[in-house]
Amino acid sequence: MLFQRGSTRRRFLQDAGLLAGGLVTAASVSARGDETVSLPFENGVRPLVRYPQKRPLIRLTTRPPQLETPFSAFNEGILTPNDAFFVRYHLSESPPMEVDADMFRVTLSGRLNRPISLGLAELKSNFEPFEIVAVNQCSGNGRGLMKPRVGGGQMGNGAMGNARWRGVRLRDVLNRAGVAAGARQVTFNGLDQPAIEKTPDFVKALDLDHALDGEVMLAYAMNGEDLPMLNGYPLRLVVPGYFGTYWVKHVHEITVVDDVFKGYWMATAYRIPNTPGSCVEPGTSAKSTVPINRFNIRSFITSLEDGARIKAGVETRVRGIAFDGGLGIAEVLFASDGGRSWRAARLGEDLGKYSFREWTISFTASEAGSMDLRCRATNRIGESQPLDPLWNPAGYMRNVVESVKVIVV
Amino acid sequence: MNPRIARQRKRIVAGLIGLGLIAFSERSAGLKIELPVETEVFKPGPNADIANAQCLICHSTEYVTTQPPQARAFWKNSVLKMQDKYGAPIAADQVEALADYLVRHYGRETSTNSAVSRVASPESLPAKPAEPLDGARLAARYACQSCHQPKVRLIGPAFQQIAIKYASDATAAEKIAQQITKGGSGKWGPIPMPPFVSITHDEIQVLADWILGQK
Repeated sequence: MLFQRGSTRRRFLQDAGLLAGGLVTAASVSARGDETVSLPFENGVRPLVRYPQKRPLIRLTTRPPQLETPFSAFNEGILTPNDAFFVRYHLSESPPMEVDADMFRVTLSGRLNRPISLGLAELKSNFEPFEIVAVNQCSGNGRGLMKPRVGGGQMGNGAMGNARWRGVRLRDVLNRAGVAAGARQVTFNGLDQPAIEKTPDFVKALDLDHALDGEVMLAYAMNGEDLPMLNGYPLRLVVPGYFGTYWVKHVHEITVVDDVFKGYWMATAYRIPNTPGSCVEPGTSAKSTVPINRFNIRSFITSLEDGARIKAGVETRVRGIAFDGGLGIAEVLFASDGGRSWRAARLGEDLGKYSFREWTISFTASEAGSMDLRCRATNRIGESQPLDPLWNPAGYMRNVVESVKVIVV
Repeated sequence: MNPRIARQRKRIVAGLIGLGLIAFSERSAGLKIELPVETEVFKPGPNADIANAQCLICHSTEYVTTQPPQARAFWKNSVLKMQDKYGAPIAADQVEALADYLVRHYGRETSTNSAVSRVASPESLPAKPAEPLDGARLAARYACQSCHQPKVRLIGPAFQQIAIKYASDATAAEKIAQQITKGGSGKWGPIPMPPFVSITHDEIQVLADWILGQK
């Protein structure tokens, strides 16, 4: 497709992610898995591997593919480049190896007055385009950092990303089909499939009101380009402020149902304790659970990583990001002394309440040694991040104030 | 476009496709990709065959190998979850053996772990020389059906597809025997077949003949 756009060679190489990684040599090296990164927890060594339309990413699993974004990518800008955006699948037969954009259709059925099936061209021409900048984050982002450790995908904090999504409002599509009386939830299924019939297909559900809120959307583009295959080409659900589990990729079946959907991925998996903070005493189980839903608030330093060296007596500029589940970031505080004294950082451009919000601050280290840098965000209703980590059995929703330890020389 | 640049570009694309990195559909609209080939199998050891036959049906090894060190209860619960929630065709008498294998190689063995498997993996099943070897029974014992069905392609090719492919090949039985003992990938698709090192020579001959008869 890059060819059909008649792009220049340099453009092609950029699109293929080759310039960032040191051209083809680096690609072939990383394709063999020779380059590794070490995530900051036991058994955290991972290969950096190049996938289609991606720069080398931190590979957690090969089948189905789960790829984490190297944290330095979050310092490149407020929007996460498509070739760096994280990848998470559940079922063996994913992603689809090929999608014919002319043949692809999304069908809407169930409790509708006029069940319909729409191709990509119809979505693009028959509905008002809609754009939103929104963070997508894996429910288990940072699970590897949980103490005590829990089973599941062992990731650092790189299973998140922020993109400008373009597509159509789900509300407009559902209204075209006419939601019938008695409808209660809407379910979403993608082209990915399990290896064996007995494995529950990956189907997610949203309450009807949520599906009709005018923000939940069917996106066909991401940061001005078609979705990469590994991020849901040609169409994915975007659920602003909600964890990535709802953002069904390659979505092709939308069904309106008259009850609470009881599929495995809603009723059994992706559940959080029904407690304030969605947490329980470490090592215990939850008495009752609810489906995971909105993001809790998080913030990160992106310009410095653990072990970075800074100079004493010279001003160091720190940059980072903050986001929450859609109320919007009101304040980010920064501390260079392990969290004893906090100063307000300057907030950057506001790309909307679902976007990463950039923040910057400067400080000067007075003497050589080590420093513990921290940041802490607060949203518009005063919710903030805990100073000590919260815990739940599945390792979801980590949002403790993180620490970056730098060396002053 | 300058023909030299066009050729150069074609070579780059061919190279990338060769690396399994990127491929765009020939058609005017659409996208086709190839993923890096999966090559890892589980560490050798008693009951590794069960792990290779069962776990790799649905996921690559890293689902196991990247977990933090965990005690036997974690691994046994994981096996039961795969069996109960995800439909893994793990036989009841393989559960303890698989848990033993997983905790020994990827877990944290503690004094509370019962490291001794009460039952039987395929390789530790006592041979029954009195009973003639039977291809169908062997296929069941080694869980071939986890990946191969009689007529429909599953993870691997259907037995029938294999039989048809090798119908006029005099060395077919030898090739199939090689595939079983050494494993392999690339002939039928992206998911590699793990090596089944503990199947005896005689059993492999019977299995190969049986597969070739599935037309």
